Amino acid sequence: MRKHVLASPRRARALRVITLGLLLLGYLDLVRGGLTAAPLLLVSSYLLFVPLAILFD
Amino acid sequence: MTAPTAAAPARDLRPSYGAAAVVGLVVLGLYALTLAPTTAMWDASEYITAAYTLGIPHPPGNPLFVLLGRVATLLVPIGSIAVRVNLLAAASSAMAAAIWFLVAERVLAQWFELRWPRITGAALAALLSATAFTVWNQSVVNEKVYTVSLAFFAVVSWLTVLWCDDPDGRRADRLLVLIAYLIGLGYANHPAGFLVAPAVGVAVLARRPRTLLRWKLIVAALVALVLGLTPFAVEPIRAAHHPALNEGEPTGCTTSIGVSCTFSKTTVDRLTDNINRVQYGKPDLSVRQAPFSAQLGMWWLYFKWQWLRDVHGDQQGLQAALALAFLALGIAGGVAHWRHDRASFWFFGPLIFTVTFVLVYYMNFKYGASQDPDLAGVEREVRDRDYFYLWSYSAWSVWAALGLAALWRTLADRVSAGDARRWATSAPVLLLGVMPLIGNWRQASRAGETVTREWAHDMLNSIEPYGILITLGDNDTFPLWYAQEVEGVRRDVTVAVTSLLNTDWYIRGLVRRPIAPYDAAHGPAPYRDGRWTLPTRPILGMTTEQLDAIPQYVDVREPQLFQHGGIRAVVDPRRLEFGVPLRSDLIVLQLLKENLGIRPLYISRTTGGYLQALGLESYALTQGLAAKIVGEPVASSPDTVDIPGIGHLDLPRSLALWRSYGAPNAIRSRGDWVDRPSVSIPTTYVSTALLIGEALDRTGRRADADKIRRQGVEIAEATRTLDLFMARPSADRPPPAVPGDAPRGTAIPAKP
Repeated sequence: MRKHVLASPRRARALRVITLGLLLLGYLDLVRGGLTAAPLLLVSSYLLFVPLAILFD
Repeated sequence: MTAPTAAAPARDLRPSYGAAAVVGLVVLGLYALTLAPTTAMWDASEYITAAYTLGIPHPPGNPLFVLLGRVATLLVPIGSIAVRVNLLAAASSAMAAAIWFLVAERVLAQWFELRWPRITGAALAALLSATAFTVWNQSVVNEKVYTVSLAFFAVVSWLTVLWCDDPDGRRADRLLVLIAYLIGLGYANHPAGFLVAPAVGVAVLARRPRTLLRWKLIVAALVALVLGLTPFAVEPIRAAHHPALNEGEPTGCTTSIGVSCTFSKTTVDRLTDNINRVQYGKPDLSVRQAPFSAQLGMWWLYFKWQWLRDVHGDQQGLQAALALAFLALGIAGGVAHWRHDRASFWFFGPLIFTVTFVLVYYMNFKYGASQDPDLAGVEREVRDRDYFYLWSYSAWSVWAALGLAALWRTLADRVSAGDARRWATSAPVLLLGVMPLIGNWRQASRAGETVTREWAHDMLNSIEPYGILITLGDNDTFPLWYAQEVEGVRRDVTVAVTSLLNTDWYIRGLVRRPIAPYDAAHGPAPYRDGRWTLPTRPILGMTTEQLDAIPQYVDVREPQLFQHGGIRAVVDPRRLEFGVPLRSDLIVLQLLKENLGIRPLYISRTTGGYLQALGLESYALTQGLAAKIVGEPVASSPDTVDIPGIGHLDLPRSLALWRSYGAPNAIRSRGDWVDRPSVSIPTTYVSTALLIGEALDRTGRRADADKIRRQGVEIAEATRTLDLFMARPSADRPPPAVPGDAPRGTAIPAKP
């Protein structure tokens, strides 16, 4: 059976880095007082990217 | 019987994700049809405002919900801000219903050979859980954060069921770590996110106890759990920006955000207090607020509501019969679950136990607002708390559907016919599952309900430009916040709610609040020709240290004279709720002292006898829904009518305001008032109509008086409150006072 594309260690690492980056950007914008990018970044990180990063670790 | 034989083909146990998605969309469609077009009573306005302003609602602050709500206001392409947040509630519950479909289908797959009866039974679980009264009613307006919590509850449930099925391996481990993460994240929405944790623990112990010995996996799960909790970091960051809604003010930063003030002890202390909900001062669990049997009785009362919400007690027999039927079906479903799918039962059984018995014990409620109405002398919750058992009723619906499916199968097995025919012949029994959809529609639906929004506009417009309005609790305050911060209505008015004035953070926020210029173009007619000067100083000229130094209460029990300008008011502590002046009372008097002649100060007519308790009745001039405090005793005149027992009414102003009010029509159109604990809002309109009618009578305008009284009576009839107003007001019998709004549950000092 073909290995899932995201399951490769490189891709999993990339996903972790992207997730961490998005979270960081979200919090930085929040600190700046942002009301648009911050919630979008944080919600997509918490609800999508972190779960994906856990599942495809 | 149709038990599978060794020769039977292997069953297809794959989850029907496509069917679940369709079921979820149908439920979402139902909720969209019955969705509130705007805000509603209680916390709806607070949460919509928090989402829109990325603010901090009442403790614990619900940071994940606020982020989600904000995203909903940004991305949902239709409707007002309120509708967008309401749709978030609807989508969350629809998602939960779709997941209950999967859970029920999985259980049914163990003993239903045919796929379509399985899917029918699973769809029934989704339908029942979606139309149980509390779930439905909470899903069509975002009154709380519990529908988002329900979605987390369901997702974690499904993942745990999958984990129970998976063989040991990396996939199972990842699932467990994901479950831990989602439990943490669910907690960042609401502490109820942890409700699912004990059942997960039991499932782990029952299915693979050796998991607990794998310390690397346990550490990974704990790290994931903590990561899920990190949205709480949003609170101090946003608090330091001092948004319009900043409850608990969990920051040490006083002017702007900074590193040292954010990472300070003050921030940590305030954030911890917020997360632990210290403000509410709930007693230790060993101190029971009502007997446990009564608390279980409260759960049962609301359980009865789920299958037929009979607000006025017109169908009590049918309601009780349905409740017993769904109780029995749930028990039967639980037994069937145990017999046919032990693996998932070890999760779902403890889950139901946790969200029912453990939750009842943990919540430790006083008697319910509607519970045993004839029982006198007991302390009661200010409103019905059925929403705290949302998870219980939602999960019970799954078992009730399994019970109904089991009954269907039993009946089908007694029919001598081919497979399809015998299932179809027995199918009418499933109609029982449609009963909540039919029976709850009218009461659960919030379609067309605009009363709360109109009420907020009416109340704010009763206040002259730049006025300060003293309110009492949730329903005379939160809708006003919504109108001001979301709709931009009358932002020049300062709303000060007495229950929150007892905290330290609230008055700091009020003093810090910028003064918005009065928007005359959109203001009500009575103020069009006036000249209104923008005040240049905050509502109180006190420093933060001085504000913080205001005592929680003053141990004074004898009447005290409050004197300022032409006011000589006797404050009688015995008429105050706690027998002594609280911090909130001291602040109200200080507001009066510093703003007399600068800003008009009003006391909402929803505050019950507060005006009298402060000894200010001689200085109060009723204008519509509020009473303005003036600097001299009010003198009667043709326009200022003295009504014995009530006080003076500004007749031309009140009449003009009444004609501009939108809520009376909205209440009459709705034709009912489902939430009885908030009925003081419509009755405030009734009493206002009767008051204006009385004043018109006294000035000889009998026809006008009759007309306006008729409008009041129509509101009373629509809300079934006519018995409160049966006696026609006369000189000897003034319009009856109505009970005030319910104060929010803020901790106040123990009775000295």
